[in-house]
Amino acid sequence: MRMLPAIILVFAFAAAGLVYLAGRVHPRLRDVLAVLSSLVLVGVIGYGHGKWDQLICVPDFLGVELSLRLNSLGWFFAVYIALINAGSIVFSLSYMKGKERLNFYYSMMLLVNAGMLGVVLSGDFLSFYIFWETMSWSTYLLISYKRGPALHAGMKYIVMSLVGSCAMLVGILSLHGHYGTLEIAQLGGLLAGASAGYIVFLLLTMGIAFGIKFAILPLHTWMPDAHSEAVSPFSAVLSGVLVRMGMYGFLLIMYSLVGVKTILELGRGAWDFHLLFSWLGALTIVIPTFIALLQDDAKRLLACHGIGQGGDLILGMAFGTSPGVAGGIFHTINHGSYIALLFLVVGAVEYRTGGVRDLNRLGGLMQRMPVAFLGCLVGIMGLIGIPLTNGFVSKWLIYKTLITEGRPFLAFMAFVGTWGTILSVYKLLHNMFLGQLPQEYSRVEKSPLSMQIPILFLCFVIFLFGILPGIPLRAIQGVQREMGFAPLELTLWGLASDVGALNMLNICVALVTAFAVVFLVMRVGPKGRRVAQDDSYAAGAYVPVDRYHHSVEFYNPLYRMISPYLKDRVDEFYYWIADRASGLFDIVRRMYTGYAGTYVLYIVAFLAFLILVQLVWQVW
Amino acid sequence: MTRIAQIVLSPLIAFVVGVLFLGLSRKIIARIHRRYGPPIYQPVIDMVRLMSQRSISHGALFELGVVLSVAGSFVTVLFIPLGGTEVSRELHPFAHGVLCPLCGSGGLLVVTYLMLFGPLGLALGAGASANPNASIGVSRKMLLAMAYEVPFLLVLLAVMSHYGTISFTEVVARQQQAGWGVLSVPLSAVAGFLILPAMLGIRPFDVATAPQEIASGPLAEYGGSYLALIAVQKAMHLFVVIALYVDLFLGGGVNLATFLLKMLAVFLAAEMINAVLPRLKIEDAVKFCWKWPTALALLQMIITVVSK
Repeated sequence: MRMLPAIILVFAFAAAGLVYLAGRVHPRLRDVLAVLSSLVLVGVIGYGHGKWDQLICVPDFLGVELSLRLNSLGWFFAVYIALINAGSIVFSLSYMKGKERLNFYYSMMLLVNAGMLGVVLSGDFLSFYIFWETMSWSTYLLISYKRGPALHAGMKYIVMSLVGSCAMLVGILSLHGHYGTLEIAQLGGLLAGASAGYIVFLLLTMGIAFGIKFAILPLHTWMPDAHSEAVSPFSAVLSGVLVRMGMYGFLLIMYSLVGVKTILELGRGAWDFHLLFSWLGALTIVIPTFIALLQDDAKRLLACHGIGQGGDLILGMAFGTSPGVAGGIFHTINHGSYIALLFLVVGAVEYRTGGVRDLNRLGGLMQRMPVAFLGCLVGIMGLIGIPLTNGFVSKWLIYKTLITEGRPFLAFMAFVGTWGTILSVYKLLHNMFLGQLPQEYSRVEKSPLSMQIPILFLCFVIFLFGILPGIPLRAIQGVQREMGFAPLELTLWGLASDVGALNMLNICVALVTAFAVVFLVMRVGPKGRRVAQDDSYAAGAYVPVDRYHHSVEFYNPLYRMISPYLKDRVDEFYYWIADRASGLFDIVRRMYTGYAGTYVLYIVAFLAFLILVQLVWQVW
Repeated sequence: MTRIAQIVLSPLIAFVVGVLFLGLSRKIIARIHRRYGPPIYQPVIDMVRLMSQRSISHGALFELGVVLSVAGSFVTVLFIPLGGTEVSRELHPFAHGVLCPLCGSGGLLVVTYLMLFGPLGLALGAGASANPNASIGVSRKMLLAMAYEVPFLLVLLAVMSHYGTISFTEVVARQQQAGWGVLSVPLSAVAGFLILPAMLGIRPFDVATAPQEIASGPLAEYGGSYLALIAVQKAMHLFVVIALYVDLFLGGGVNLATFLLKMLAVFLAAEMINAVLPRLKIEDAVKFCWKWPTALALLQMIITVVSK
């Protein structure tokens, strides 16, 4: 099956177009087609496991070979992209019902999907770049789907993204100039002899592009705006997979292209690449996580965590150790699963409450929307990394690496980030689902089936990978073998290593047993008398029935302590640059006066300048 | 077989000792206040009485939250070495093998994360009621946890990087070979002791369940068998935190008896503070935790890293 990557991509792109046309015929046909094609993609990619091959599509495109390939790293990401995307398309069915321009929406969702699949399946940097741009531009269209302020958010995204693309292009051109080929597999061998300076140059140019997608500090500022404006199912894709294409890019250049050995040597020179990269990661964890604490918009809060968790991924892959990189790759899909889940949950709440996601105006929804509550609970447990969820295992791998590598300060930053996460996601859960149910929501209905299915599926994945982490870790082992890492000692339920073993199955059995025993003990006593929720004891004080939910400024004392330190200066700085730049462009614009005479003057002046140059320096 | 016996035994030990400590605590405080105090087995009487009383309930989550919280504390005990040694067994006639049934399934990192189940379960259960006092209590508990976790994590990391391992049994074994943690990482030990009352939730850090201010916070709605289980959770948590301190800094114990004796010593010291200091405001509690304990723990970590 050499043709498999080509088949996948042709199918993915064709689906995007066909869905648009189907929408012209009948909306129902479009919905069915969108769901079916996204599910078929999952199946086809799943079928491709183990069929690693490379396929040359266009032998000579402007002197460069265009090729596609399927390898274990690409396959791993492709499955994960297709799954999350299928989930959010199913979710869209009811979420987007009745909204305008749906043909465009579904078509773009599939186009983003196709673009991302193209990125992970491309075998050379030119096709990589083309798919990367397809992905960026369709993302831009989706972010600004709602118009109004969304246009501004989309503009911010695409401007930053373009800066990244330019940087990447510089890197790609220099690769072509140096080695005359852009094929990733060939370049891997050729780069082995490159100087450290050139490697750093490559890492920097490509790193800017990937870092902007990845939302590493200080390149993160597009993300909160984009999330608060995008529609929720797309936020799930955006934060769950699209941002993580940056992770794919980093893995690609650091470990497939440059290679582990060279990366490890970079840690020894005059300045330590690992230290720099990992401290960037540590800051990316801590600062956005604490900014998240101050947010009242559910999606902005989650977006900040989307940035923060990226830091964990960097800490995992920065040192080039086997458990660390495994943890980083594992954390990528884990983070994708629970952040997508949380965005879907917020979407479900938004859908049922008429677009409310202000955390100060919700509360008590647990009674009305039990599945959404379950999704939120599982999602925050994963985000925190509580044992039995997948987030625990990957964080464990990363933290273990940091401690055994002798970087306790980095580990400390990561831990503090985890605690900031606990505080802010508990606030998310509490303010939406716990406490008093305001009367205006007392008739809210539970989420529709098409929302429940993806929510429950993601919950299942989170626990499955948390209790039996061996399943994904075995696939990751294949990826690592391809990159030349020593394999981890794996079992189905955890790790068997000499520096500290982990057995999730034992932890799970112990917890379940303890839970059952305690439950039975509780049942020995008389069963509690069920009372209305607001029939509560307030030590003699009067509690108003409708609205007395302690949610506004949930962590007031802490806010007062930390908020002065948490201004996003980076964002302000970018805006300052943008202002200056638009002033400059205004001056440039004035050159175009519209009179032919002025232009003739410019030409004459330029010729005079050339003549002057020739007379003085004799260039030609 | 011995493993199964251990799995049953260690939570039982924790339960008995924890409840005993609860009773002892009331007695000690009473004596310091020059009162006679209730009998030591008073918590047992209370639990039996509560089990026979009927509580109100706010639904399934209200009940399951408590179960989760207690189950989490029981499981945490399985990952903590409760005395016993492998290294100096021939030197001590009464020494036995390490009593830690699940230490092979995860180390210190697992313990820190398992300790989250207790507060999380209680917070979920309390959240199922619409009592604003409960929410205030949970908010305070979260803040206090954030406050003491900063120095606590520094302490843990200093210990883990000093011994170069994340395995809990290894940390204890190394202390039994080469001297207690209180000597090799002294500043961490001091910092750990300073935040001990905050971790235990006793005075001056009993802000989350302050009875006079917020009607016991998250506990306000609970009664009957739920409250009895919450008391069990409190006892287990007391045991876990003090056992952690003994294992991290006082070299564990060559057998269960010495381990429990060391625990008693640490517990008595903490009770002395509990008996005499009034409750702090939550702001002041956070500021305290982020000042002295954090500074000491940070200093120790720098020393540990530099000396490596």
